[in-house]
Amino acid sequence: MSYTNVKQALVVQFRVIHALMLRETKTRYGRHKLGYLWALFEPVLQVMVFVVLFTMGGHKSISGMPLILFILTGVTPFLLFRNTMQQGMNAIDANRALLTFPQVKTFDLVVARALLEIATLIVVSVILLLAAASLDIPVKIENLLLVIMALMLLAATGFGLGMAFASLTPLFPSINQVMQAVLGRPLFFTSGLFFTAEVIPQPGRDLLLINPILHMIEMLRSAFFYEFHSDYARPGYAVTSALVCVCAGLVMHRALHNKVLKA
Amino acid sequence: MIELHNVSKTYHARNVVTRVLDDVTIRFPRGKSVGILGWNGAGKSTLIRLLGGIEPPDSGTIKRNVKVSWPLGFSGGFQGSLTGRENARFIARIYGAPIQAFEQSAEEFAELGQYFDMPVKSYSSGMRSRLAFAVSLAADFECYLVDEITAVGDQRFKDKYRAAFVERKERASMIIVSHNVNTIKQDSDIAAVLRNGKLEMYEDVNDAIKVYQTDTR
Repeated sequence: MSYTNVKQALVVQFRVIHALMLRETKTRYGRHKLGYLWALFEPVLQVMVFVVLFTMGGHKSISGMPLILFILTGVTPFLLFRNTMQQGMNAIDANRALLTFPQVKTFDLVVARALLEIATLIVVSVILLLAAASLDIPVKIENLLLVIMALMLLAATGFGLGMAFASLTPLFPSINQVMQAVLGRPLFFTSGLFFTAEVIPQPGRDLLLINPILHMIEMLRSAFFYEFHSDYARPGYAVTSALVCVCAGLVMHRALHNKVLKA
Repeated sequence: MIELHNVSKTYHARNVVTRVLDDVTIRFPRGKSVGILGWNGAGKSTLIRLLGGIEPPDSGTIKRNVKVSWPLGFSGGFQGSLTGRENARFIARIYGAPIQAFEQSAEEFAELGQYFDMPVKSYSSGMRSRLAFAVSLAADFECYLVDEITAVGDQRFKDKYRAAFVERKERASMIIVSHNVNTIKQDSDIAAVLRNGKLEMYEDVNDAIKVYQTDTR
């Protein structure tokens, strides 16, 4: 393949992913005038529920972190992981009809959805932080670069798993429900959305620390808050897990995509 | 234009396996209309999907160095919750066509009136195919794949579509599959017969028709 061929192929792929993202935005949010507000709805609701619960429990801060920001830095990063995975894993099955257009590849379908989800959650996070700041909660980020790095790990893990399951679902349609059951609720409760690793007694803590998402969220909070430093987050483990997920996704896609087209 | 090298393809439907192409090497010439005759079940639609790049072959390679259409009039690629206009814009985007001109051309040809700005799922099947034809023609392909044109709509739209089709045939290549001898006779310069996994090309359409009709299956 010559240089111009590669360039041409990349131009087509960018064009397709861009078109898919616009289309996905329209289908998902475009039906109502205030459709975009739906993107805010889930994170805001979840943050509110837990803030209310903790406030009733008499907490104003957790390990030195202001309550609202503590919940915020748990819920939105987790959604970044989970939504990217969920959107990705349905991407191929839901858009099968688009494969009529030969330049639309199964890979692009997953990437477009993941990128849209990531972009949406970044905007949502910024809005929520601004809202918190307007409520006189001091929002000071200790190390923005490391925060972004942790967010990237979460997005990459979600993308990798999404790609892997997207490649598997056309062959094993039931895998979707199984994965929702295994990865949805249980991870929601074990990834440190509303606790830090240090408050969990042994041997529970070691067990929970198998979950790489918990490491990523601990990393994120350590970078975000001046008041908090996690003794348990292992960046090496988090990075390795994210890389393994991405590689697994790409390998499975490569191995199965011809079968996917025929299924 | 489109070249097949040692292409094999089987089609699986439940437990029945049909060998659509068995080590076929063939070249479709540029600028010509090629008719392909095949009995029902010979694998005409699978062949079209292979040529369009929608499905990969089991083995062998297919080379395309022109802009090839999706099967003409096929409306399966539309998203029901989006309007006709939004679907047209999406297709313009993935083909890198100028969006406004594309959209306008599709709108004019489809003659859907205000339905062009309504979700496609609210369309009748006739309206859907009108949109599909309009979009296929707006895309200005160098090679059109045609799978059993079932003309749709009223007589006026049929005539208009026919005129556009004939006009397009002048400057683009066509590959038309059909089981109907008359369709092939009317629109092809040369013809091929698809049977038992082999695809044989005949310079004279009448020769192909003779072979096709004497084929006892």
